[in-house]
Amino acid sequence: MSEEWTLNVAPGADNDPVFVGVGEIPTGKFPDRGFIQALTKVAVLALKDAGMVPKDIDTIMLIPCLHSGADQADLVFSRMVEELGIHGTCKSSYMVHSGGSTSDNAVRAAHGLIAAGHAQNILVLQCERWGSADLQEMITMLSKNGIPGEWELPTGIQFNAIGAMITRRYMHASGSTPEEMASVCVTLRNWANLNENAMFYTKALTVEQILASRMVADPLHSYECPPMADGACAFVMTNTANAKKRGISNAVRVAGSGGCVSHYCLSQEADQAVLGWPLAAERAWNQSGWGPEDADIAEIYDSYAAVTAIALEGIGIAAKGEGARWFAAGHGDPGGKLPMNTNGGLLSAGHTGVGGGTALLVEGIRQLLHRAPSKRQVEDCQRAIIGGSGGSYMDAQILLLERTKLGA
Amino acid sequence: MQTPKIVTDFRTGLSDGKLLVQLCKDCNKPNMWPRYACPHCQSENLDWQHSGGVGTLHSFCVLRQGAPEGFEADLPYAIGVVKLDEGVQLAVRLVPSAPDDWSEYRCDDQVEFVAVSADQIEKRPCATFKRIAD
Repeated sequence: MSEEWTLNVAPGADNDPVFVGVGEIPTGKFPDRGFIQALTKVAVLALKDAGMVPKDIDTIMLIPCLHSGADQADLVFSRMVEELGIHGTCKSSYMVHSGGSTSDNAVRAAHGLIAAGHAQNILVLQCERWGSADLQEMITMLSKNGIPGEWELPTGIQFNAIGAMITRRYMHASGSTPEEMASVCVTLRNWANLNENAMFYTKALTVEQILASRMVADPLHSYECPPMADGACAFVMTNTANAKKRGISNAVRVAGSGGCVSHYCLSQEADQAVLGWPLAAERAWNQSGWGPEDADIAEIYDSYAAVTAIALEGIGIAAKGEGARWFAAGHGDPGGKLPMNTNGGLLSAGHTGVGGGTALLVEGIRQLLHRAPSKRQVEDCQRAIIGGSGGSYMDAQILLLERTKLGA
Repeated sequence: MQTPKIVTDFRTGLSDGKLLVQLCKDCNKPNMWPRYACPHCQSENLDWQHSGGVGTLHSFCVLRQGAPEGFEADLPYAIGVVKLDEGVQLAVRLVPSAPDDWSEYRCDDQVEFVAVSADQIEKRPCATFKRIAD
């Protein structure tokens, strides 16, 4: 391919968009924690982290929730503007949505708004209540997301079936063993054990436990399926000039991004063991000038082990067919050569729907800001690969983020 | 909303024991799933052809729990993605080799379309395939 994907904003220029703060509350089952209450909490935490107050925000961008149409409508219709007391001054409030890759697309949208001057200070908010929702209702809802009702719903397909098919094809193509697939989940759990906000912070997990757990959708065992969770997080972006004016000396900028929408429904994917990652990566390298060896950490959507192994190969972090074995060798573990999903990922921090990708993004920003708790802060973390995927793994989205020193 | 004609035509085919693939009468390319305009040439001059019903099993799974509402009584059941020899793909149900047993199936197996009763298609309007014995 000979595409050119130049970013039309210079590093360190006044209009260069930067991340300046994050907020998060624990992920898990919190039936008594209200939806708006959680959103308000993470908004305040992120603003404090950014050294801002609500009235500094001119644009609120909402990450959708999937547990309730009514709650989603509250987001769409600017409830958070009023809850934060910025009605009358806030310029714009709206939602971006592409399922699990929403956070990547939200960053692109916010980046464009800031660089072009449509927005100065953007607050991005996410909350999901999957852990407290009715499980059967969520299963049925998820059998209609990324699945065409007239063509595929009649087969009885749902999210674990989609994950299982991708896993089976990946194991067939790579020759990965059940033990090697399970090792991906163990790496994620090792990270979750360092994250107080993770659903499984206090619980260890072994390959043996995973393989002994019941079969849910061959070849997926129950411990290889993502645990539905309640969770909320937020982040703040501004432009470089404004960040400097506020005395911020270190921030995080976008070095580039790449993406590929490879299908809508899984049956139309050309190769379930590849997906859209190779083209997404090619575009991301083209835009940033980076290669896979330049990253200090990676935070890549992991609703199933195979999904992440496939992404690692497409991005070029692991050799073709070696993604699961890369995890089995401990390369993504704490202390490994490329710390991977350092919050525990969706599989061990908890699957908060669209928010799972947002939590990974927030963790990447936090690591680059050097604000992770010391036990899991990656030393001298300068560059991060963020990866997301939505629906039936319809797309592969990559954000390349880097720590940047802002001059006086 | 009335069910679109491309859907009812496809399902009528299944009820008659036939697997239909949409065919563009202008560029002569097959489309699956059926579309409202040909994705290759944007023509709306679309018709059907009978598929040979043979293809390769790209992947599959056996769902054992967590069925969507209305599918609980079907458990366990196997879903697969088939790449038809005509060059198009679709999601299908797979016939077990023995009761509740799909252990003979492998990725890249040759599979063939199986006609099922009109009553079955009324209940589950999707194609069914089975493994072609070695």
